[in-house]
Amino acid sequence: MDSLIPFTTSGSLVDCVDRKMLVVLRDGRKLQGVLRSYDQFANLVLEDTVERIYHQDVFAELHRGLFLIRGENVVLLGEIDLDQEDEVPLRQVEWSVLEAYHKKEVADRKHRDEAKAQVLFERKGFCKEGGEGDGY
Amino acid sequence: MLIFSVFKTLTDQTVTVELKNDLSITGVLKSVDQFLNIRLDSIKVLDEARHPHMIAVKNCFIRGSVVRYVQLPAENVDTQLLEDATRREAASQVKR
Amino acid sequence: MDSSSGIQEPFDLIRLSLSERVFVKLRGDRELTGILHAYDGHMNLILSDVEETILIVDQPEDGSVPKNAINVAKRKMNMLFVRGDGVILVSPPSRA
Repeated sequence: MDSLIPFTTSGSLVDCVDRKMLVVLRDGRKLQGVLRSYDQFANLVLEDTVERIYHQDVFAELHRGLFLIRGENVVLLGEIDLDQEDEVPLRQVEWSVLEAYHKKEVADRKHRDEAKAQVLFERKGFCKEGGEGDGY
Repeated sequence: MLIFSVFKTLTDQTVTVELKNDLSITGVLKSVDQFLNIRLDSIKVLDEARHPHMIAVKNCFIRGSVVRYVQLPAENVDTQLLEDATRREAASQVKR
Repeated sequence: MDSSSGIQEPFDLIRLSLSERVFVKLRGDRELTGILHAYDGHMNLILSDVEETILIVDQPEDGSVPKNAINVAKRKMNMLFVRGDGVILVSPPSRA
């Protein structure tokens, strides 16, 4: 079994090293950076990391630096196609312009999820974990 | 190990992975590991407009723990074989 | 007791439901029915001929919650892997 290299975490991530990657975290944050290292738990080292926020068809980014991300917080790791990256139909704006919109969107979603979880808990016997803001 | 084996037999097939954050990604299953982490190539995101950060992403690694469902190609799953293997695995667990 | 038919531990109930239609309640406001073909010790499941019921709560802009706020959306899937950590309960078909 151990000799089947494609069927291991290391087998599937080996060709992503030193490439520009997108990392989505469980709290919804989106990071972009160069993947320098990883292990079997999908702990990641990301260099020259920027955080991106999106709102409709605009985005903004903020430089964050060098990160070691604990694997359990990782949702997905995407390889950014550098050819397609330039053709993305999105407009970049200043972080300070977009931040308020983004925060409101996050807060609204949290509020809606909490209200929904409360209703389903009371009437349908579902657990209230929705209040934590995600289904993980 | 049983489910891991099932996924291994489905490599190079097209599957749709639905995550717990409601993101659905269709792609070619390139690899899977013991934690059911999944590597998908040539991906297509359902409702891409709601997930603009995914636009330039072609291949991705999904951590097994964030998966809710995987829709499998039914024609490539032998249900009789699955049930037999499940019973065998259940029997071997009891003996332990 | 005959270990092939008796129920001695929780998973025996699921084993006896193989190739039958089961009801599965999941975290994240979802319920499934489908024919059970495989499971493992994490309660990962493989089901076919699945109908998913998603509960949707209407939420007007003013933040109030109306009395009849719960709607359902249904979706059918051919062959589905369900990750065990989302499972709240599995209920076998009722037997006469």
